[in-house]
Amino acid sequence: MIELVFFDLGDSSTSKQLKESYDMIIIGGGPAGLTAAIYASRGGLDTLVIEKSSEGGQIAATEKVENYPGFTSIDGLELAERFSDHAKHFGATISNRGVKNITICCDKKTITLDDSSEIAAKVLVIATGATHRKLNVLGEKEYEGKGVSYCAICDGAFFADKHVAVIGGGNSAIDEGLYLTQTAAKVTVIHRRNSLRADRILQERAFNNPKMDFVWDSVVEEIQGDAFVNNLVLNNVKDGTKHELQVDGVFIYVGLVPNSGLFKNLVQTTPDGFIKVDPVTFETTLPGVFAVGDVIDKELRQIINAAADGASAAASAIKLYF
Amino acid sequence: MGLLKKKDQVQIKDRLAEEMKDNVKIILFLTEDESKCHYCTLTKEVLQEVASLSEGKLEIEEHIYEQDQELAKKYGVEYLPGFVILDKNLKHYNVIFHGAPFGHEFATLLEDIVIISNGANPPVSQDIVEKLKAINKPVKIQAFVTPTCPYCPKAVLTAHYFSMINPEFIKGEMVEASEFPELSAKYGVSSVPQMVINDGANSFVGAFPEREYLDEVLKVL
Repeated sequence: MIELVFFDLGDSSTSKQLKESYDMIIIGGGPAGLTAAIYASRGGLDTLVIEKSSEGGQIAATEKVENYPGFTSIDGLELAERFSDHAKHFGATISNRGVKNITICCDKKTITLDDSSEIAAKVLVIATGATHRKLNVLGEKEYEGKGVSYCAICDGAFFADKHVAVIGGGNSAIDEGLYLTQTAAKVTVIHRRNSLRADRILQERAFNNPKMDFVWDSVVEEIQGDAFVNNLVLNNVKDGTKHELQVDGVFIYVGLVPNSGLFKNLVQTTPDGFIKVDPVTFETTLPGVFAVGDVIDKELRQIINAAADGASAAASAIKLYF
Repeated sequence: MGLLKKKDQVQIKDRLAEEMKDNVKIILFLTEDESKCHYCTLTKEVLQEVASLSEGKLEIEEHIYEQDQELAKKYGVEYLPGFVILDKNLKHYNVIFHGAPFGHEFATLLEDIVIISNGANPPVSQDIVEKLKAINKPVKIQAFVTPTCPYCPKAVLTAHYFSMINPEFIKGEMVEASEFPELSAKYGVSSVPQMVINDGANSFVGAFPEREYLDEVLKVL
């Protein structure tokens, strides 16, 4: 059942006519893209943000954010809405569309939207973020939507009073695991090391939560079930022994893969697909194309530095091209 | 009354004033026995609040399901609360909601209202429009969602866009999975969005782009 009543007002309508060209087009409406929009709009650029699902990106799928300065605790959704309202307030347009293709020719960046219409920009900012990495084990694909999930806030309701496993030991795994303890009977965290990587405060909450337990030094080898997931085959990486764990569901949080597929042939990336940028200007290897946030090659992926990337990119774009 | 925050009311009012063209009518089905329908009253209240912000362009017509079953059947409403969105000529685009339009699905509701108010021309590529128009057998797309799922509105809207393009044969439904646990269990829904086509002839999980979405829909034909 619905635990919270809130109302997402969405972005400005998809039926709203877009212009043929903009000074800056930002692909992706997470914290990096929306902050770039704030700085670009304030800098006088005619700015469009294209977001394919929900404003705020990954924060919209986060229950609480506790490490963005100024807010000891804020709903992910509310923070997302504030970022988006802030960008709109200074004149940026936000459009709920998908991007199909990008062509770069002679100073002009042409973006083909999912309805095949085209818009052009002088400067392009890639802020497409990242999605959850898959485990790539037997049964994962087969049971996706049948007990395998990557979004606790979306699917937690289906596992009320059930036993679920969370795979991973970072902030996302522990955060989402704690969220699941609100409804699930039991949450077992399976981690390949013998200690968590998550922030100390999350670790303390996890260790003190009576519904949470831990399987250390173990990786999932196979996800099994009938119509639904009912069993995990685990391999202890220290001594090579195999174990089984009966669960009703499994939530996977083992890192991120960049959403950079559309740009792979245009800009330089790492072998993993993270986009390489100049550390000062955030410009990619292609002039006039910038990249910010989780999609770029960097150490820490947090809201605060995603926003910082956006500010730096917009400021350098203004300086270099307008 | 007063489910919507003051700040949201202002934004909704501005958006509807700016983007609604023609009148739109919502036909809402509720029940005699409120104990059986946890979200009926809340749905009615929130729809009425939106109507009150539309300067008369959005009208809500309420029916008691038990008394108007024929009408409900005509509109394809099977679960409560359930509603459909009609244009100024009362044309039914088979844009159907089963369950409360709360959370992220409120954005879906506003989007549908605006698009139908502007003649129901959704932003879909021309080649896909043609493929949809060529469909000549009944297709029912049920998009199972939860209100907390940020990826879900896109999946519901795609179903609704498809039905707007060919309402004679395509039905696009939102189903709020947590309100209808039995129906969700019947199709094994445990991750959203999950689309169930023609009562289980095909099903897929995830907010697919329109092209892949259409491919899945066409598999049942």
